[in-house]
Amino acid sequence: MSDSLSRRDLLKAGGVLAAAALGPVAGPRGAIAQTPKRGGTLSLRLWDPPHFDLHQTISYKTNVLHTFTHSRLLKYKAGPGVQPGSFVLEGDLAESWSQPNDTTYVFKLRKGVRWHAKPPVNGRELTADDVKYTFDRFVNEKGNAYRSMMAALDKVEVVDKYTVRMTLKEPYVWFLDMVANPMALAIIPKEAVEKFGDLKKWEAVIGTGPWMLDSYRPNVGVTFVRNPGYFLPGLPYIDRVEVTIDEDNASRMAAFIAGKYDLGWEASGTINRVDWVQLKDTLKQRRPKLQSLEFASNQMSHIYMRTDKPPFNDVRVRRAISLAFDRQGLLDAVAEGVGVMNPAVPAALKDWSLPVDQLGEGAQFYKFDPARARKLLAEAGHPNGFPATVSYATYGSTIQVDAVQLLLKYLKDIGIDAKPIQQEYGAYISTTFYGKYESMAFGPQTPFLDPDNYLFGPYMPGELKNQSHVNDPVLSDMLIRQRRTADVAKRREVLHEIQRHAARQQYYVYAPSGVYIGVWDAAVKNYVPNLGYDWGGRLLAAWLDR
Amino acid sequence: MKRYLLKRLVVAIPSLIIASLIVFTLPRLLPGDAVQLMLEEKAYGKDVDDLRHKLGLDRPIYIQYFTWVGNVLTGNLGESLWTKRTVTEELGMRLPITMLLGGMAICFAIIIAIPIGILSAVRADTLRDYVARSAAIVGLSVPSFWIATLVIVLPAIWWGWTPHLGFTEFSKSPGAHVLQFILPAFILGIASAAGIMRLTRAMLLEVLRQDYVRTAWAKGLREGVVVMKHSLKNAVIPVVTILGIQLAQIFSGTVIIESIFQLPGMGRFLFDAILQRDYPVIQGINLLVVSIIVVMNLLVDLLYAVLDPRIRYS
Repeated sequence: MSDSLSRRDLLKAGGVLAAAALGPVAGPRGAIAQTPKRGGTLSLRLWDPPHFDLHQTISYKTNVLHTFTHSRLLKYKAGPGVQPGSFVLEGDLAESWSQPNDTTYVFKLRKGVRWHAKPPVNGRELTADDVKYTFDRFVNEKGNAYRSMMAALDKVEVVDKYTVRMTLKEPYVWFLDMVANPMALAIIPKEAVEKFGDLKKWEAVIGTGPWMLDSYRPNVGVTFVRNPGYFLPGLPYIDRVEVTIDEDNASRMAAFIAGKYDLGWEASGTINRVDWVQLKDTLKQRRPKLQSLEFASNQMSHIYMRTDKPPFNDVRVRRAISLAFDRQGLLDAVAEGVGVMNPAVPAALKDWSLPVDQLGEGAQFYKFDPARARKLLAEAGHPNGFPATVSYATYGSTIQVDAVQLLLKYLKDIGIDAKPIQQEYGAYISTTFYGKYESMAFGPQTPFLDPDNYLFGPYMPGELKNQSHVNDPVLSDMLIRQRRTADVAKRREVLHEIQRHAARQQYYVYAPSGVYIGVWDAAVKNYVPNLGYDWGGRLLAAWLDR
Repeated sequence: MKRYLLKRLVVAIPSLIIASLIVFTLPRLLPGDAVQLMLEEKAYGKDVDDLRHKLGLDRPIYIQYFTWVGNVLTGNLGESLWTKRTVTEELGMRLPITMLLGGMAICFAIIIAIPIGILSAVRADTLRDYVARSAAIVGLSVPSFWIATLVIVLPAIWWGWTPHLGFTEFSKSPGAHVLQFILPAFILGIASAAGIMRLTRAMLLEVLRQDYVRTAWAKGLREGVVVMKHSLKNAVIPVVTILGIQLAQIFSGTVIIESIFQLPGMGRFLFDAILQRDYPVIQGINLLVVSIIVVMNLLVDLLYAVLDPRIRYS
């Protein structure tokens, strides 16, 4: 790891992992060698949840908080040994698991796991019934928009007090990833739902996780205190986690400079690159020992278009749009020139994403070549271009606005006179996002941790997230095949072929992603940032040296 | 006076009915409802319809309106579609914060603006007047969120220090609770202060040129008596009118200032509710604000009679 990596080096490396530090880097490995210390308070800036019922919202604001208080059957490994963008399964509440056949999974639970010592559960032991109850509620709860993640689940059976068997309707190889996903299946106690009617109130936040929710005040903050009965002996090391809800960028930036927050204030404990560039020198003076680590973001935007009607049903038009899209120019304008190029699976998911230069025939359409784009348009019968619209929402981000403006310019340069249609977020989500728009649109996708969620919804006919109205039998066949291919190497090959096919067809024109800058105070040891909402998991074995 | 008061209260009823129609209808005209925002892009099967039915959003709009009005008349503002907490309970937590912030802001505005306005009028066209007028123009031109941002960010960059950010409960520390409002209230009051100062100056200048004031000077009265006793009372009536209007302006300013200073008031609550299409919350807050403004304007009208004995309500 070096702090002298240039942007070019970063891009060359695919931007998957680079490290930098403001001061001398102790580095994660150095941290492991020290003896962990118990105690202390960790200060974070997080978000105000709409409510606390994780089966009635898809908000990351709710999901992130539950990673401190709740456990899942499985989770992704965290800590200094894990490279950001890599997701390796390990047991959480499940001591072990097996797959007797393509559609059956059996989970053996840890014994002696106790719920938080709070009424109405009062620290009773977690059993297989709790797991069944959670999965049943997850699937049946009206308003749980994430339940499509368990669409393959047929039934959950309690074999004995510590064993659960899950049967699928059809093979679905991503099932264990869905079970481990911090967005979805934190195990909840039945008593809390029965007492409160649902889990919306903060008093209903009762889990088996490393910390317990101690207090919550809307728009102000959340306090977690260490769960003394946590099932992993000695963990967590940190006694208290103070969360400040700070929705104003200037104030959280100032608070961070002043040392109020221990981790970066944006997603996954990062700092936005534009802010980082502005603050770097100040931080060198004010917080010289701050640690940082760069890794590619899985936040990916794309251009989508009505491929079910002219002119976008012509592949030459779609390829022309891709050729007209100056991806590096976009990065220069909005991300200080640093980022990674994305095929259909974002580069950040390095276990599954195919580098752009390996996309075969489709790789050529990632080059910025307006002259060729104009030629392709002419061949498609549009020598003078055509009028179009680009629907979008700002998401409250100036970066998004800048990106759309650049996109309009790139389109104009090849003769496509696109009229911007800016929509308020609610309007955008209820119309454009569901594929109801005139000709083109631009916006980000949900940052998932698995390739299936990036591919199946957007490319499968009939899916709500098929924003480009794709109906390609070859692609559909591969999408189903990858879901049924248990062998990882073979599945990866199918996924690579899907990405090659998507690059050739350009149903979606993918924008590059930025490179996150994970930042944390030098006092936080044994911690490494990663993608995803699992803040609690990443901090489980962290400790404070101050 | 009683008759006038009664008449004004009766007149307020149609205003409130019209306001209730507006606050009920306008949020529903925005594309996308709470259900679509709850489910976002991940709606599955009949989820959208089912949830809309569960929340009662599939009923005809006029039925929803009359149900809401009926509940309001019994003191029930409904419950949040998102949190299921009652709007009254939420407002009970947040209204005192916004009231304190707004109240302090208007006090700061008055404390700063009236003396400077008087001084500026009495010393018209002197250096002090020019400085005061220039400062007022700056105060009017510079948005409060920008000042707030600078006040927070610059000390952090220069000295690694920030003013108090976050919220301290009154029960934990009454002193700190009140102190945390001073800076945001001062910033919020700046624009209002600028307007009030300019108006005070202009009105006072006009009064100072009147014959009865010249007579007072001719009698040999001291400057303080001429200005404070004989002139200011007559000059201040339009300023009182403006104060009523400034209240609405200050309330709208709290939305951003509360966010920046992390104060959990009503402004922030309203902002979130609009983004989430939380209709009962939007309606409840707006109806409350309309009611407050109606009442404040009534009080302002009544204050005229106190300030100017020539004004009588019958």
